[in-house]
Amino acid sequence: MTVAVALLAYATVLAVTSPRLLRGASWADRAPRLGICLWQALSMSVLAAAALAGLALALPSPRLSANLAALLRACIMSLQASYATPGGAGIAGAGLTLTTILLLRVGFCATSGLARAGRERRRHARKLAVVARPAPALDAVVLTHPTAAVYCLPGRARRVVLTTAAVETLTAEQLRAVLAHERAHLAERHHLILAGADTFARAFPRIPLFIAARAEIARLLELAADDAACRHHERRSIAAALAALAGAGHPEASLAAGGPTALERVRRLLRPANPLGATRTALGATVIVLLLLIPLVVAAGPMAVIAHAAYCPIPAVAPPGA
Amino acid sequence: MRELGDLEAVVMDRMWSAGEPRTVRGVYEELLEQRRIAYTTVMTVMDNLHRKGWLRRRRDGRAYLYEAVRSREVHSAEVMSEALAGSTNRAMTLMHFVEHMPPEEARLLREALDQNADAGERRQDVNPPGPA
Repeated sequence: MTVAVALLAYATVLAVTSPRLLRGASWADRAPRLGICLWQALSMSVLAAAALAGLALALPSPRLSANLAALLRACIMSLQASYATPGGAGIAGAGLTLTTILLLRVGFCATSGLARAGRERRRHARKLAVVARPAPALDAVVLTHPTAAVYCLPGRARRVVLTTAAVETLTAEQLRAVLAHERAHLAERHHLILAGADTFARAFPRIPLFIAARAEIARLLELAADDAACRHHERRSIAAALAALAGAGHPEASLAAGGPTALERVRRLLRPANPLGATRTALGATVIVLLLLIPLVVAAGPMAVIAHAAYCPIPAVAPPGA
Repeated sequence: MRELGDLEAVVMDRMWSAGEPRTVRGVYEELLEQRRIAYTTVMTVMDNLHRKGWLRRRRDGRAYLYEAVRSREVHSAEVMSEALAGSTNRAMTLMHFVEHMPPEEARLLREALDQNADAGERRQDVNPPGPA
């Protein structure tokens, strides 16, 4: 019971306060991948803590003991104590229900989201295959269109799509830099990271952490792709390409609210690269590991009971005939 | 199967550049100049394109005359608007290099670039302000 309450409290505090603490943290812009991992670890940690809390409710919590015999005795006694009273069984049922619902909900949202995205992408790819002209020199396909735009289509038919207007608007070096940015998205499977964040946000739309994580991960993925492109291209080329393409939209086209992000990206690219130092990177990595471990360690007590329950010699303790 | 898919693009490309109704034989003979291909393959591909709504056909004597239902530009516009919508509804997880934005916001990006160019030494790849 104590373990379950502790896990639930941990999950609640993390889910509500961490977005406020983390949003706009400047270090994440200097280490976008670390930032993405941190948001993912936070989301996983909250879900794991909530799911394990339900499991802990369903299981008796033994006094922590190094002595296996004591643990086993505690296990059986508390099992008996737990299920002997109707209240205990009710709480256990509620706990199991909570865990089951949480996991089913995430599983359902993940599979339905991926299936739908895959279906729409395949449909899009089929049209693209007929309409767009391949440009083998660019390793991309070119769509005849007066709006300058560049995007990538992830999945099995992965490809980078350029419009003719984009090819005309950008200089050769800018074009190569933009292609490197899009290829980084494809090579590093960024769409799956996005799909993961989207799954959490759709499964639990009222949890501030998951909404913030989705927005921040989407932003940081762009920075990560910018950084990947910077490895082989001038930072200024990417910044210039951003400015050139951002203003190329047709007035009637629906305009996404990506303005502040694009401006931040341009400013960031115009400054010299400033990656996070080794100490702070290690600190961030430690926090990520801790976030993933904490729910497991806290829940380890009740979980140990499951492990031992397999060998729990209940018939030996209460032998029916002997 | 994959080859047939690739051929669909090739045939549609011919149909759009021709700009007038063509018979299977006409397209076949044109394609034959560049690749080894069977007449029946071209016929299958064009029949598929008709079934999928890319081509329409009418009888002309003993053969069908095929014609593109819509221009490449119309199809491109449709694909493009789908791609642009995909960035907002997130369903497809298409990843755009940058979202289009209102001219006044886009101007801020160019100003940031220009200021930087004035502050530092000018480099060769400075982009002139594009059309808004």
